[in-house]
Amino acid sequence: MQTAKRPRRRTQAQFANKHDLYERAVQDPDTDVQFFSRTYKRLRDKPAVTMREDFCGTAILSLAWARSHRDREAYGVDLDGPTLEWGKANRMSREKESVANRVTLYQANVLDGMGPRVDLTCALNFSYWIFKTREQLRTYFKVARAGLKSDGMFILDMLGGRDAMIREENETEHDDFTYRWDQEIFDPITHQFLAYIHFDFPDGSTINRAFTYDWRLWTIPEIKELLLEAGFRHVRVLWEKTDEDGEETGVFYEPKRSVENQDVWWTYIVAER
Amino acid sequence: MGRGKRKKKGGPSIADRADRHALYQKAVQTPEADVDFFTDTFAKIRNRRPMSLREDFCGTAYFAATWCQSHPERTVIAIDLDGPTLDWGREHNLEPAGDDVARRVELREANVLDPPDSRVDLTCAMNFSFGVFKTRSELLAYFRNVLAGLNDDGVFFTELYGGTEGIADDVSEDRGVDGFEYVWEQEKYNPINHHTLCYIHFRFKDGSRINRAFTYDWRLWSIPEIRELMEEAGFSKTVVYWEECDEDGDGNGNFIPTEEEEQQESWLCYLVAQK
Repeated sequence: MQTAKRPRRRTQAQFANKHDLYERAVQDPDTDVQFFSRTYKRLRDKPAVTMREDFCGTAILSLAWARSHRDREAYGVDLDGPTLEWGKANRMSREKESVANRVTLYQANVLDGMGPRVDLTCALNFSYWIFKTREQLRTYFKVARAGLKSDGMFILDMLGGRDAMIREENETEHDDFTYRWDQEIFDPITHQFLAYIHFDFPDGSTINRAFTYDWRLWTIPEIKELLLEAGFRHVRVLWEKTDEDGEETGVFYEPKRSVENQDVWWTYIVAER
Repeated sequence: MGRGKRKKKGGPSIADRADRHALYQKAVQTPEADVDFFTDTFAKIRNRRPMSLREDFCGTAYFAATWCQSHPERTVIAIDLDGPTLDWGREHNLEPAGDDVARRVELREANVLDPPDSRVDLTCAMNFSFGVFKTRSELLAYFRNVLAGLNDDGVFFTELYGGTEGIADDVSEDRGVDGFEYVWEQEKYNPINHHTLCYIHFRFKDGSRINRAFTYDWRLWSIPEIRELMEEAGFSKTVVYWEECDEDGDGNGNFIPTEEEEQQESWLCYLVAQK
């Protein structure tokens, strides 16, 4: 063991907070709110007012929802107490009271069906992939459906494509850190999918495995089949338009014809109760 | 089926003279290897030798004939919807095999979903043909039907393909076979419903070709989906047999039971379901 004393300096990794980094690297709540609002309005011809965010984490989407209109209310559900606490202390507390008091957080299992019936429930960032059997996932979908008003809507996102189904690591540079997505396992026998998020800093420090995801990589037809089995009336798959260079545009549409598979795609599924 | 126009003067092209069923058998099928694998695997699981077989989607019944040739007491019920293909098989596979083999092969022009009227030791559905069933309820009905047609210790053998190339559009792969070129073209793969549209083409040395000799309009099912459906249908156990690789990562033709694997560009596996 080394005994010589060296001046102690904290690394950038020690200064950083993984929730803050995650929000900056992965989330885009205003875009989600806009997409949810437009989709609901288009299909129901009225604005969505109440939303449940399952697997809400720090609940910044719930906050963005409440912020987007003075009548809107959000209910965030997550199992993890410390993550919810961090969100309350660092996000909700900084929000205007008139916004924050329209957000209710529950430390609970999404299977508990907490909160009132809402216009819209979402489960984003593929978190529902923790349910690895059809039976578990169908049960969750049934609970989600039961928590919707009679004309309510359930919105999920999906990730797929050839590069989603391999061992793969990729990086995205941000101003003061690098986000690293690390797919360690994709097993074609079971569709087990084990992935990590790491954060690297300019001083060479790292938050290794800041987040770990032990999922089943579900596919679109499987999700559609399970939503219908759970009782949803209609399931729409919204596909992202690409420009001439094949780059994503942020615009989603309902394809009438066959679409091409891509290296990676990310899409929304909208299920109507 | 499109025939090549690039014909040499003075005579028919090779494509004109070729027979797509004969080419298919040469390019795609290895019935002896399948007979060995089925026999060995069944024996390991059930401690006896399988004798009676049902071959679903049998096509020319090349495998069925090989099954009966492999043992004097083996029998087959070979089922296919397509009458002309069965006729071709009767003429080219059964008659040349001789009476003793031919009389043990019952060719049936029928739907594999028709309720079975007898039970067998082993049922097989090869070359991914069950991809024609595109919904869970259809495929479940098919698996239930297979189960109903098996003896108490019967086993169902089928195969699946996949990998990152299996889920791509506009992929084609060609391979030289004995005097011609076999081309597998995957025109479409739709990630929303997993429907895939594929063709087999044949090309010849004189530049002639048989375009779209065979067309496949399938759903490409995944391994977990198939296993779940087999279990729902009532099979007691399903095992995936994966091809072993040599040092270069190429398949060596030897299939072993597995529970976890790494993804590959392209793979083919057997799924073995026990009643």
